[in-house]
Amino acid sequence: MDKEKEKKLNKKRFAQREHSIKTKDRVVAWPRMGNIDLSMGALVSSLGAKIVMPPQNTNKALEIGVKNSIEGICLPYKLNLANYIMALENGANTLMMFQAPGSCRFGNYTKMAQKTLKKMGYKFDMIVFDMYQSKMKQTLEAFWHVTRCINPYRYYKGFSTGFNKAFAIDTAERLLFYTRPREINKGEAERCYKKWYEIIRDTTSVRDCKKLKKQVIEDFKKIPIDEDKIVPKVYLLGEFFVLLDPFTNQEIEKTLGDLGVEVQRQIFFSDWLEHVLQPSIFYKKESHRERCVRYAKDYMKRAIGGECLETVGDTVYAAKNNIDGIIHIMPFSCMPEIVAQNILPKVSRNENIPILELVLDEQTGKAGNITRIEAFVDLVMRKKLRRENDKIQK
Amino acid sequence: MFKKNYTLYFCVTILSDVENIIYAVEMLTYNKIEKIGIPRAISYYTNYPFYHGFFTTLGVEVVLSDKTTSKIIKDGNKYLVSDTCLPIKVFVGHVVNLLEKGITNIFIPSIQSTGYKVNNCSKIRGLPEIIRNVIDKPFNMIEPTLDKTENAGFYDFWYQTAESLGITDKKLINKAIDAGWEAYDNFKAMTESGISYGTALNNAINGVFEKKNVQIVRPISVVIMAHGYNLFDERISLNLIKKLEKMDIKVYTSLDVSRENSINSLLAIGETQYWANELDLTGAAAYYMLNKKVDGIIALSAFGCGPDSLMIDEIDYHAKNIGMPMLHLNIDEHTGEAGFVTRIEAFADMLFRKKRKNLELNNPVKKTIDEPVIEKVLVSSLSKE
Repeated sequence: MDKEKEKKLNKKRFAQREHSIKTKDRVVAWPRMGNIDLSMGALVSSLGAKIVMPPQNTNKALEIGVKNSIEGICLPYKLNLANYIMALENGANTLMMFQAPGSCRFGNYTKMAQKTLKKMGYKFDMIVFDMYQSKMKQTLEAFWHVTRCINPYRYYKGFSTGFNKAFAIDTAERLLFYTRPREINKGEAERCYKKWYEIIRDTTSVRDCKKLKKQVIEDFKKIPIDEDKIVPKVYLLGEFFVLLDPFTNQEIEKTLGDLGVEVQRQIFFSDWLEHVLQPSIFYKKESHRERCVRYAKDYMKRAIGGECLETVGDTVYAAKNNIDGIIHIMPFSCMPEIVAQNILPKVSRNENIPILELVLDEQTGKAGNITRIEAFVDLVMRKKLRRENDKIQK
Repeated sequence: MFKKNYTLYFCVTILSDVENIIYAVEMLTYNKIEKIGIPRAISYYTNYPFYHGFFTTLGVEVVLSDKTTSKIIKDGNKYLVSDTCLPIKVFVGHVVNLLEKGITNIFIPSIQSTGYKVNNCSKIRGLPEIIRNVIDKPFNMIEPTLDKTENAGFYDFWYQTAESLGITDKKLINKAIDAGWEAYDNFKAMTESGISYGTALNNAINGVFEKKNVQIVRPISVVIMAHGYNLFDERISLNLIKKLEKMDIKVYTSLDVSRENSINSLLAIGETQYWANELDLTGAAAYYMLNKKVDGIIALSAFGCGPDSLMIDEIDYHAKNIGMPMLHLNIDEHTGEAGFVTRIEAFADMLFRKKRKNLELNNPVKKTIDEPVIEKVLVSSLSKE
């Protein structure tokens, strides 16, 4: 399709639905992905729209999704569809979703979901914003279309609180990963995180939100930790949705933390937001993607969509920065990650870093995965201990 | 005096032209690649006439890998992760086959997108990346990129290819591209006129052009929506086309439809093109669905194929609205032929029965009036009791 045609279609996209639902009656909902609802909720509610939150992802949600989607599609779509259905049943009539064409099947999600939901007899309005070029403009347009809010202060407030909440919760999560394996009283870090999650969710003013990040750091510092403990570090890499959604990845971070491993995740929602919404002139440092391109040079010469390049680049980066192991998670039949899966054995051999592959599906048993993770942790631990011993002998 | 001047002039010209001379000497010593291997998989099946025309005009000999056998699939399986789909495994098997033949220059293009925001499947986009990391043997990979979303257009693609072959003469390359187009257009025109895939390919390569004016008429016709690399590979598709023709079914494929027609009919049923290979499946199916030329649709896809799962669902949705029967065949390296045949036979039987019923409804045969009346009376009397 030509660029001009695309522009025309984009203009039409908003024009067609002008009179479908009145702005007053709009009830907004969006699919769940990790802690996305904190910042999205802050933004949409500050613009003055009503919100319906779909319930947490559970087995019931998955069942609904599997029932209404085709066999070959990947797991994130099934959960997204379930979220839509549950939200619509709770009274929502406007669904918001972003999409990135050219990545993988992800670009087709909204098209398919719309068709399926219409077939099921729901009446709704779906607002889609493309994350390809001029992203900030697209998002602003979409939010304006939903809320018809003219007041620029409300936009400022929404974006500011939304961003700060995302930063605060991600800092909390990072600190949680650091503290959990080292804490002296079991469960303290987890409790602290849950406390802060609620506080972050409930703060509304701009000034309070700006302070959140510092307060989180100070509070986590108070937890007593055992600093001499030998803790191996493991990178968690893979597909975006699966990494961020605790139901889908079966709380793998918690399992690893309880086994005494420090988890480091390279993909965080706030980093991604910062990267995607900022114009490229304002980048202060080398972005995550650029770093990955630099490190993956020996193995990959071109981006192929999805998070394949990030996975390979981060693996090389980890090997060069004394990380002890890598856990690569992906949903079943994810196309870009299968390419990454094919490349990783060579990276593992060349860079001398152990890698565990976990393929997640709606039928994956948790027990089987835990056994594999335990075995992997043992391997990583032994390697780490041997390295420490060598250091002492020298 | 004159002599002196002449030598000085000569020296000056040489000194000013040093760079060019070094370049010329380099070009003389540079080995031009004379043989190129093309694996008989993925883009071979639809683009080979173009490749052949292009490379032969450049003066490069094209060597193909053998036809797909069980051994080739096994070879591919050895190198890849089990989740990878069958066509990619076959592709790797063909590359191994070429290496065994002793060919060190292999053409592995990365076709990222064929239009603005019309992208390909990740695995096809990353073919060179997979091959580079999976096969350890030393060989030279010719890996041009076609990416129209990021402004790496069609001509850049072929300039890249020629450059890595050691050819930089632009006129020659343009001539080669024209030759490629000619072969491809001939091939497409021949298949559209109804010539079968194999003969059309042979004709296009040998420079023969013929058209078929007489169409074979069969009682039932079917459109197969599948990628070229699945359908025309006789090992992967288990000779599906020949099997259907033996059952007296006329088969249409995406090669019978022109590009314009398929795009237009895709838009007519209310879909837009999202995948680069989409016209092979949805375009062809949509064209014949709107025409009502066919009685049924057969979808053939590899297990775990991402784009296909979406496209087949799309067509399934529209086929149900129209009331057209559809069969979905899934293939992988373990597909048993017996089960395959049973499903096709059942589908064919169903189509025949439906056709017969429709014919009877449209041209009802006059029956004697007495018999059904008696039956009715009997039934009513029984029910009263």
